[in-house]
Amino acid sequence: MSAMGIRIAAFLAATFLAAAAWAQEQAFTSRSTELKDLGSPSGRTIATLPENTPVKVIARGGGWTKVDANGQQGWVNVFHLRFAATVEKSSSGGGFLGGLSGMLGGNRQAQSTTIATTGIRGLSPEDLKNASPNPEALAKAESYRADKPAAERFARDGKLASASVDTPEGGHR
Amino acid sequence: MRKIVFAALLFACGLAQAQFDIGRALDLGRKIVTSDAFKEFTPEQELALGEQLTACFLGASPLHPDANLQRYVNRVGKWLALHSDRPDLPWTFAVIDTETINAFAMPGGYVIVSSGLLKHLSSESELAGVLGHEIAHVVKKHQLQAIQSAAKGDLASSIGKDLASDAIARRGGNMVAQEAKTWASGIATDLLKEGFFLRPLDRSMEFEADQMGVVIATRSGYDPYGLVGALEMLAQYKGGGDAASIFSTHPPAADRMAELEKFLPSVERFAGQPQLEGRFRQAVQLK
Repeated sequence: MSAMGIRIAAFLAATFLAAAAWAQEQAFTSRSTELKDLGSPSGRTIATLPENTPVKVIARGGGWTKVDANGQQGWVNVFHLRFAATVEKSSSGGGFLGGLSGMLGGNRQAQSTTIATTGIRGLSPEDLKNASPNPEALAKAESYRADKPAAERFARDGKLASASVDTPEGGHR
Repeated sequence: MRKIVFAALLFACGLAQAQFDIGRALDLGRKIVTSDAFKEFTPEQELALGEQLTACFLGASPLHPDANLQRYVNRVGKWLALHSDRPDLPWTFAVIDTETINAFAMPGGYVIVSSGLLKHLSSESELAGVLGHEIAHVVKKHQLQAIQSAAKGDLASSIGKDLASDAIARRGGNMVAQEAKTWASGIATDLLKEGFFLRPLDRSMEFEADQMGVVIATRSGYDPYGLVGALEMLAQYKGGGDAASIFSTHPPAADRMAELEKFLPSVERFAGQPQLEGRFRQAVQLK
């Protein structure tokens, strides 16, 4: 197989694996909704999915999510889907925060996720407890700052144009 | 996304299992706290506090070694910040090298985002939504409010004293930069000891930051649904969520999406703006 052939085969394999991984993600329609051929309000309606239709998530893009509904692929409004997250949270963290939020008078509701002890390579309470300031790392982080001209060049390269958008409070900018 | 009650943010130097005695703290707090101890922070104090907290955070979690990734995130972040109500802060965006999924805002314009979160995003507009949310926390001074609130409440015995001494110092004139730095160092250390970094902010602050984050990203020319996409990822996430993760420090993604659904129609007309998946994939190549 030529080098190009190997690269194409590798790309196809990676694409297949990524698609397979996504295909595992189950969701349900949270209300009756339209399955469209494009991720846009102007897309053609392929089918109408009743509430609680099981779908498999294929990709996400903007306000639309590509799904497979009983073998039929199309796009649905992201707000019309309900996802089944299964986050395994460390029991110590969940318990601590749950208790503390009550003491602080917060109205934080229980997480709609499962709680179990788990270990991933991340920040641990012990690391945080024992942390001491690292001024060298701070200086390094500050050395990566972008100035205004650099940010503006970057925006132009990405064809990003400033838009006039009202603030949530009703102001204008 | 975190990121950040203060929760999001201030989790870094904090510790999850704080050992402080709430009853004792409240009792001491009543004796120590005076009403004039908690006026607005000066700009020098806010900046010094952000620097010291970020230094603490980076003491707990290293910077990601990819300089190009750090520059990329800073360009996205600065462009967004220029469209906020505080464009002139010394905005600094730092990627930390950890699998923990979260992002954090510090006072003064310091924003931290984990490589674990970046790895799960799919476009620059999603990153813009996340960073816009953190920028909104800084603009609205949510973290400073949470510090002041804690100083009046259960953390009065520690940071309450720091802020009270500040009030005394201010009666004699404004703090100069060096004084502010020393003062901030004391508070940052106390926040670390008391586990402040893992506390959630009020839900209302998170929802406000979500809305403002969408506005900032949209003003900056991005697809307004970027933050929604990031929340969709979180809602679908299957895996571990440790005590420092967004799953512990923020309201559930589904709740945040439900709030945003009410707001998004007001920016729907910008839905054709770029998502920039290609540039994101080129810059963010995390294993």
